[in-house]
Amino acid sequence: MSKTKKVSRRDVLKTGGAVAAAATVTGMPASIAEAATGNPRWAFVVDLRRCVGCRTCTISCKSEFNVPLGRWRAVIKTVDWGKFPTARRAFVPRLCNHCAGESDTGVPPCVEKCPEAKSGKRMKLGNERYRTGATYKRPDGMILVDMDLCIGCYKCIDACPYGVRYVDPNVKLKRPDREKDLGIGKCTFCEHRVDQGIEPSCVQACPHETRSFGDMNDPGSKVSKLIKEFGLDKKRADTTLLPDEGTMPHVFYIDPEGVLDHYSFDHKNQEKRLAEYRDNII
Amino acid sequence: MKNNTELKESAEHAQQRSNVYGFLAAVYRKELSAELLVQIKDSPFREVLSDLGVNLGKEFFSAPEEELIENYAIEYTRLFLGPGKHISPHESIHYERDDGDWGTHWSASTVEVKKFVESLGLNYSETDRSMPDHISVEFELMQKLIEKEKEEWEVNEGKDALHYIKIENMFMKDHILKWIPQFCDKVIAEAELPFYKEIAKLTKKFLEFDKKETSVNGEEDRQKVEQA
Amino acid sequence: MAQLTRRNFMKFAVASGAVLAAGEGMKSKALAGDIKTQTGRDFSPTTKKERKAIPSACWQCVSRDSMIGFVEDGRLVKLEGQPKSIRGNGHICARGQAGLTSVYDPDRILHPMKRIGPRGSGQWKRISWDEAVGELTSRIKKLRDAGTPEKFLYHYGRAKASSGKLIGGMVKATGTGSIGNHTGVCESAKWTAQEMTWGGHFDNWDIDNTKYMLIFGSNILETHTNHMSVAHRIMHAKVDRGVKMVTFDVRMSNTAAKSDEYIPIKQGTDMAVFLAMTKVILDKGLYKGAGEEFLEYCKCTEKHDDSVANKIAALKKHYANYTPAWAAQISGVPASTIERIAVEYATTKPAVLIAYRGPVTTYNGTDCERARQVLSSITGNVDAPGTNCKAVGAGWSSAAIPKAKTKKVKDIFDGAPKGEPESYPFPTHHASHQVLDRIKAKGPGTFDVAVWYCYTPVFANGNHMRNIEIVKDEKLLPFVVSCDTSYGDSTHYADMIMPDATYLERYDWEDMVDPTQIGEFYIRQALVKPLGEARDFGDVMIEVVNRLGIKTDYKTKEEYVKMSVDMTPGVKEAGGWAYMAKHGVWNDGKAKFYSYKKEVPASAIKEDGVVYDEQAGVYWNAKKAHAKPGDSYFKTKNAYKYYVATKMGNKLLAGFKPDKINKSGYMELWSQVVKDAGYNALPEWIPAPNQKNMGPNDMHLTTYKVCVQTHSRTQNNKWLTEIYPNNHAWINPKDASKRGIGDGDKIKVKSSIAEMETYAHVTENAQPGHIHISHHMGHYQYGRYASGKRAPEGRDDPDDKNIHWKWHGSHPNQVIPNRGDRLGGFQRWNDTVVQVRKA
Ligand code: SF4
Ligand code: SF4
Ligand code: SF4
Ligand code: SF4
Repeated sequence: MSKTKKVSRRDVLKTGGAVAAAATVTGMPASIAEAATGNPRWAFVVDLRRCVGCRTCTISCKSEFNVPLGRWRAVIKTVDWGKFPTARRAFVPRLCNHCAGESDTGVPPCVEKCPEAKSGKRMKLGNERYRTGATYKRPDGMILVDMDLCIGCYKCIDACPYGVRYVDPNVKLKRPDREKDLGIGKCTFCEHRVDQGIEPSCVQACPHETRSFGDMNDPGSKVSKLIKEFGLDKKRADTTLLPDEGTMPHVFYIDPEGVLDHYSFDHKNQEKRLAEYRDNII
Repeated sequence: MKNNTELKESAEHAQQRSNVYGFLAAVYRKELSAELLVQIKDSPFREVLSDLGVNLGKEFFSAPEEELIENYAIEYTRLFLGPGKHISPHESIHYERDDGDWGTHWSASTVEVKKFVESLGLNYSETDRSMPDHISVEFELMQKLIEKEKEEWEVNEGKDALHYIKIENMFMKDHILKWIPQFCDKVIAEAELPFYKEIAKLTKKFLEFDKKETSVNGEEDRQKVEQA
Repeated sequence: MAQLTRRNFMKFAVASGAVLAAGEGMKSKALAGDIKTQTGRDFSPTTKKERKAIPSACWQCVSRDSMIGFVEDGRLVKLEGQPKSIRGNGHICARGQAGLTSVYDPDRILHPMKRIGPRGSGQWKRISWDEAVGELTSRIKKLRDAGTPEKFLYHYGRAKASSGKLIGGMVKATGTGSIGNHTGVCESAKWTAQEMTWGGHFDNWDIDNTKYMLIFGSNILETHTNHMSVAHRIMHAKVDRGVKMVTFDVRMSNTAAKSDEYIPIKQGTDMAVFLAMTKVILDKGLYKGAGEEFLEYCKCTEKHDDSVANKIAALKKHYANYTPAWAAQISGVPASTIERIAVEYATTKPAVLIAYRGPVTTYNGTDCERARQVLSSITGNVDAPGTNCKAVGAGWSSAAIPKAKTKKVKDIFDGAPKGEPESYPFPTHHASHQVLDRIKAKGPGTFDVAVWYCYTPVFANGNHMRNIEIVKDEKLLPFVVSCDTSYGDSTHYADMIMPDATYLERYDWEDMVDPTQIGEFYIRQALVKPLGEARDFGDVMIEVVNRLGIKTDYKTKEEYVKMSVDMTPGVKEAGGWAYMAKHGVWNDGKAKFYSYKKEVPASAIKEDGVVYDEQAGVYWNAKKAHAKPGDSYFKTKNAYKYYVATKMGNKLLAGFKPDKINKSGYMELWSQVVKDAGYNALPEWIPAPNQKNMGPNDMHLTTYKVCVQTHSRTQNNKWLTEIYPNNHAWINPKDASKRGIGDGDKIKVKSSIAEMETYAHVTENAQPGHIHISHHMGHYQYGRYASGKRAPEGRDDPDDKNIHWKWHGSHPNQVIPNRGDRLGGFQRWNDTVVQVRKA
C-alpha cells in the first residue's frame, strides 16, 4: 500500500461535511437511497476499450494482500471468438461487484446468506449507523468480511453467483470455537487504502487507466462522469455482469464493442463459476 | 525472598542455561569448525555426550580431522543452505502463523524477532550476514538474556532477575518453541551423518527440559520475589 | 537418547561453558550491544511499523522502469511505478509488480558454493566469499602471469548502464577482451541494419505525437525492450486520441487483439510486405512532400550527392518486381490489403512503424530491417516528432575505470571464420548463440576460466541438449563460475556459484531509452540489504581487480554509482546523489529531434589529419585512423570512429553519425559496405534456404512472449508463473484436425536437430501452417515454481501446497538450431521448419 497517487479529494471518503436527511432504505432503489445519506457510494468502472490483458492489476492485488496461489481477488478473463483470419480476442477484468443487492433486501446474496452478517460491532459512518458482521455491507456500499466473526460455514461462497469468494488456505479463523477452520477471502475494494484516501491497489497499478474507482454520489468524480458519459447506470443489462441475478453490481463496464456479449460462464453451477474465477493464460 | 545460597544457586543455574544456549548457537551458526570439533572430541565433552546417550559414531572420533570437517561442511550445506533440498534454519520458514504470513525469508516472524531484539536495545552486528530470525541468533538472544538474568541474581538480592525471566519466557513461548522443535524433527529425518542428527535430538530434549525448568523455577522465583 | 535430568544437564552446561570459553570463534557474533530494558515494567516488543518509500528502478526486464519500493520494518512489501518519471508516468507492469518475490524466493541461492560431485550432479558445499574471490583471482592471476589473460572468458546476459560499465571495465582491467554478450539472441539484426543505415542503434517511436501506428511482429502491449513506457502511450493514443493501430503478426498476440486491425502474416515474410509497400508508395508518388524532403538526406545510389529525382528513379528500378501480388503470394497478406495499408501509412502523417523481433529473427533479418528503414525514409517518418526517432537516453558520466590493454581469443564471439558455414560479414553485436559451438570447434585449452554473469548459455540458446553436452565437458571449460540469484539451468553445471544480489538490493545509474526523446536520468537504489550472503557482482569484480594489485577509486559499486552521479553535468547541479536518492529521476526537459540536421563548425574539418573522402562525401580523421593518404573511408578498418562530418549540398552536417560500421552521414539506404560484402546494396529478398523445399505437412515454428514472463528469468516468481505455468503449443484447428490432434493432447514437434514433446492448444488464434510456442517455460532447474524441483523438506513455503500446476512446460529451444541471419549473424529464432504429430 502506498501514497504515491491520491484519490482526488472529491473521491475520498467524506467523514464530516453536510448531513443529509436520513432516508429510509426500504422501498427505494439502492442508488437513490445511498445518494441521500451524505456518505459516498463507491463504484468501480472498467473501460474494456483500454484493457490489454496485461495482468498488472492481478499481480498488484496479489502483492497487496499476499493472496495464496490458486486464489484470486482480481482476475482477467481472456475472451476469444470468431475464426481465423478474422478471429477476435478481448479481455474482461473481474472483481467483486460490491453489489447493492436486490431492492427488497438491500443486501447482496452473500450478505443475505451469512448467518453472522450482523454479529459485529455497532459502527457509524457519516450519519449512518450500521453493524459489522462476518460478511456485511457498509453504508458506502463496500461488501466486507471480518475473520474475527466468520464461523467458516462458507454460505457466502455458495451464495455469490459470481464465484469471487475463496477459502483462504493460509488463514485460520479467530473465533475461539473455530480456530481449526480456514478463513475466506475476496476483493475488499481495498478498503484499507480507500479509508486513507488512496485509490485501490489495482487501480493505481493499471497502466492503461482501464480501472477507475470513486464516489458515484459525487457528480464531479471520475466514475460519475464516466457513468454519465456512457450511461452505465441506465443500461445495467449491458454494463454489468449477470444483470438478471438482480444483484445490482457496482462494477460497471464501458463496452462499446460488445465484448460482454461474448463472455459467459455457467454461473448456476458452483463448481464452474468458482473454476471460472481464475487467472490463466494459455 | 531468596537467601544467599539460593541466590548463588540461581545465578549458577542461569549461567549454565546460558552456556548451553551459547553452545547451541555456535553449533548452528556455521559449518563445524576445527576449533569446535576439537572441543567436542575432548574428553569432558565426550563424556557428557555419552552420558546423554548422544551417539556420534566411531568415525567422528577416529576419522582424520580434515576429512570430517569437509564431510560436515557438505552436510551443513546440504541440510541448511541448499541449493535445492534443504531446511532453512529460520523461524519465518517454519512457524506456520495463522495469518498465512510465513514460509519465506523475511516474513512476519523475521520482523517480530527483529523488533524483539531491537526493543531490548540490542543491534544486529554490521558484519554478520545472517537474517534476524536465524536459529543461532535466537539461541544467542537466549544466551544473552539469561546472562543478564544471572547478573541480576548477583545484585540487589536478585530483585530484577524476574524481569529477565519473564522476557526469556516470552521469547521461548512466542518464538523458540513455536518452531525449533519441529525444525529439529525435520533435521533428524533428513540428516545423513550423525552429528547434526544427534545435535537436533539434543536441542529438542534441551528445549523440553528448559521449558519445564523455567516454568517451574520461574514460578518459584516469582513467588519468592513477590513475597519480598 | 537419555532424558535430560538436572544432573546431566549440569554436566552438559559445564562442558558447554568450557567449549565457549575455549573458542574465540564460538563467541556470539550476530548480536551487538547490551540489553537495556526498564526493569520496573513489563517488557513488550514494539509493534510500531516503520514504512519507507524508496525510489528505485525495475530490472524484471531490460526496460528498467522507474519505481518506488515500500519497505516495512526492513521487509520489502510493495512495488509501484514512479509517478515523477517521464518515461513510465508511474507505471510498472505485472512482472515489475511481482518483482519482490525474487528477493524472498525460497529457491534463491544465498551463499557462495563450490561443486563437490561430478559436474551437474547438484552436490555443493558452502564456501566463504574470501575463498570464492580468492579462487577466481588466483586463476586469473595465473593467466596474467603466463601472458594469456584472454583465457579468462567473461560472458554476460544482462549488464546495462552502470552494471555494464563497471563490471565490463573491471573484467577488461584483468587484461581479457574475451567478452561474450547476448544481443545475438535478442534483436541484433535490427541494430546491425540501423548501423548500416542511420548509424548507432535503437529506434524510438514518438507515440505521443503520432497519428498512425503500424506494427510488425512486435507484441509491444505485452512485452518489449522498452515495454511499459511505450505500451501505456500506445493505449492512450489509441483510445484518447483515436490514433489508428494496425498490427501484422504471425499469431494473435494481445497487441494484435487490441489493434484496430490485425493482419495475419506468414512467418519471416514481413520483409516482402515492406518491399511491396515501398513499391506502392513509389508508384503512387506518395513520397512527395515529407518523403522527398527527407530523401535529401538519404543515400539511394552509389553517388551520395545524387539528385532526389535520381534517387527515386533508382529505388523504383530496384523495387520494380516487388509487387503487392508478389508479396501476397509469399506472405499470405492479400495484395489489396498491402496496398491499402501502404497508402494509409504514407498519407497519415506523422506515423510510426514499429517492427521488432518477429520480422528480423529470420534468414533475411538484417536486410528486413533495412527494408523497414527505406519505408520510413520515403515517407519522411524519420527522427521527426511523431515518427521513428533516433533513441535518446541519459548520458551519465563515469567515475574512473582503470585502463588496461586487453587480449581476446579470436573466432569465438562472431560466428565461424570466413568461408565456413555460420560466418557472417557484419556481426556488429556478435553471435552469442555460436559461442559454445565455437569453443567446441577450437577445442580444449581455449579458455581456462569462464564466468557467466546473469547468463544461461544452456537455456537461452538453441539446441539445449548439445549445449548441455558442451558445458559438461571439463576439458573444454575447465573452470566455470556462475553468478546467479537462483539455481539456474546453467548454474547447475558450474563449478562455483557466486550468489548475486537481486536488482532490488543494489545500486545503479540507469539510462534506458526515453520515449519522450528527452533522455531521463534515473537511478536504482537498494531497497533492502542483500539477503544472506548475496553480493553485487560489481563489488566482487572490484575486489578481484584490487586483489590483482590494480587500484580503484571505490571499493563497492554503490560508491562507484554515487561518484558517477555526483559528477554528471545537470544532475550534479540539481543536487547529485542526494537529489537522485530522494526523487529517483531527473531530466533537462529538452526533446531531441532532427539530430542529423545539426551543423558542424568549419573549424572541425581544419583539424590535423582530417581529409575528405569523395566517394563517401565524408570528412574523417585519416591520420588518427592510421590510414595512408588516399585510403578509402569505406575500406579502412574502424574508419567510422574518426568520422567528423558529411558534406550535403553546401552544408557541413553531423548527419547520421556512424557507429560500428563505416558509413557516411547520410541515411544509407544504399550501402557500399553491404555491396562490398557481395550482397545487393539495397535491401533484397532472398528466400530462406531451409524453407525452399517445405512439404505440405511441414510447419513453421515461431516463438513468442507473454505479458507475465520475461525470457527465461521470471519463472520461479510464483505469482507470474501461476498465471502462465506452462507453454502449450498453439495450433490452428485446421492443422490439428489433419493430424488428429485435440485441444490439450500431447504432441511431438520435430526439427532437423531434435524432437520435443509438449501439449497442444488448438485455437483460431494460431495461423494455419504454423505452430507457436512461447520461449519462457520448460526449465530443468530454477526452483520449485519453474521446474517442480523444490526442497522436499516439504512446507518451507506456505504456498507449496497451493501449487496448482503439474506440467512446467517444454522449451522450444530444444528443437531450434543455432543459425545466424545472412548479414549480421542474428539468431534465427523464428524460421525453424518442423513436423508435428500426435504423441
Ligand atoms: S492492469 Fe489494466 S489493462 Fe492490465 S489487465 Fe488489468 S485492467 Fe487490464
Ligand atoms: S460479487 Fe458476490 S461476493 Fe461480491 S458483493 Fe456481489 S454477491 Fe457478494
Ligand atoms: S480493489 Fe483491491 S482487493 Fe479489489 S481487486 Fe483491486 S486490488 Fe484487489
Ligand atoms: S516493463 Fe520491464 S522494467 Fe518495466 S515494469 Fe515491466 S519488467 Fe519492469
